[in-house]
Amino acid sequence: MDRETLDAFVDGELPPQEMARIAALLESQPELKAYVLKQEKLRAALRFEELLREPPPSRLVETARKSPVSWQWRLQAVLGRRFVMRSIVPAATALLAGLIIGLTTGSRGDLFLSHGQMLARGNLAQALNTDLASSGYSGEGPHIGISFHDRRGRDCRTFALAGHAGLACHQDGAWVVSTLVMQSSESGGTYRMAGSEMPDAVRRAVEASIQGTPFDATAEAQARANGWTGK
Amino acid sequence: MDASLDTIRHQMVQLLPRLRRFAIALTGSAADGDDLVQDTVERALKNLHAWEPGTRLDSWMFRIAKNRFIDNRRSARRTKIVTLDTADEGVSLDGERAMQSHMAFQDTAAALQALPMEQRQAVALVLVDGLSYREAADILEIPIGTLTSRISRAREALLTALEG
Repeated sequence: MDRETLDAFVDGELPPQEMARIAALLESQPELKAYVLKQEKLRAALRFEELLREPPPSRLVETARKSPVSWQWRLQAVLGRRFVMRSIVPAATALLAGLIIGLTTGSRGDLFLSHGQMLARGNLAQALNTDLASSGYSGEGPHIGISFHDRRGRDCRTFALAGHAGLACHQDGAWVVSTLVMQSSESGGTYRMAGSEMPDAVRRAVEASIQGTPFDATAEAQARANGWTGK
Repeated sequence: MDASLDTIRHQMVQLLPRLRRFAIALTGSAADGDDLVQDTVERALKNLHAWEPGTRLDSWMFRIAKNRFIDNRRSARRTKIVTLDTADEGVSLDGERAMQSHMAFQDTAAALQALPMEQRQAVALVLVDGLSYREAADILEIPIGTLTSRISRAREALLTALEG
C-alpha cells in the first residue's frame, strides 16, 4: 500500500468501504499500524488546540467589528447585487454610492429603484421620451446623446445629467438605466455637464450592446414616433 | 442581500481563532500571525463585494490570508526560520505540565516552519485546520492530486524532524 493512501486513511479521505478495509488490515500488519499511529499523533500535535482556546487579541476583534467595508458592497446592499456587478464599472469613484443614493431617494429624483433595477423618472424620463439629439441641446436639464438598437431589440439612449452620464434602454414601458457613472468634476465642486464627450464606461457599455450603428436624425425621430418600442 | 453587515462582522469575529491558528502556522510567530489576520480582515471587508453571499466565508478568508501571506513575503523577502515566539503574545501557558506541552508546541511549530512554503500551506489547511482535501485544494487553487502529494511529502519531513 502506498503512503498517500495511508495518509488519506489517517485524514479520513477515503470512501467508507476503503476506510473499513484498511482499518481491518491494520490489525494484521503492525508496521502499518505503527505508521498510522504516528501520523495520528502528528495530526493531533499540529492542531495547536491552545490557539483555538485563547481569546483573540482585542485589536483583531475591533478590526472585524469596525474596519470599513467596501463602498461597492454598500451600494449592492441598496441596489441589489446583480445590478452593481454587471453595470457599475470599477472606474467609478467612491462618491458614486452617495450620489446614486442621493439621486434615488430625493422626492424629485430622476432615478428610482424597482425590483433591483434603476429606472428613469421625472425630467430624465421625459427627456429620454421626447428629446431628439438631432434638434440640439437647450443647455438645461438632461442631455441626450446617441440612440441605437441593442442586441436584445430594445431602443437605448445615452444621457448626461447633473454630473452623471449613463445609458438607458426602453423596456416594458420604462427606461432601465443599466450604466451610470459620475463624470469628472471641476474644482469648486460643481460637476461639468457632458457636452459631446462620453465617458469611457458609457462608451464601452454602448459598444458591448449596440446592434448596427447609432441612429441618424431620421431613425431617431422614427423611434420616438414608435414610442421607443425597438421597432 | 441576505447577509447583513452585522451578521458578516459577527461571523468574522467567530472565525478569528481559526484564522489566527492558520496565520501563526504559516508565519511561525504569534506577532506575525496576528498582523496577517488583521491585514486579512481589513482586506476582506474592503473587498466584501467580491464575496458571493451563500458561499463559505471561511474558505474565502483563508484564501485571502494565503494570498496576503504570499504577497507580504514576496515584498519583504524575509527568509527567517522562526520558532514560535510566545514571550508575551498571549500564547503563554502556566505550570510545569504546560511548560512541557509548550515545548512540544515549539518543536512542532519549528518543524512546520522548516517545510517548503507550498507544503506548509497545505499542512496549515488540512492538518492544522482540519479542512478536507477538496476544500484545501480549492483555497490553494491547485489540483487535488497536487495537494495530496504535498501533504504526504510534508508528513514525511515533519515526522523525521520531530523524531530526530
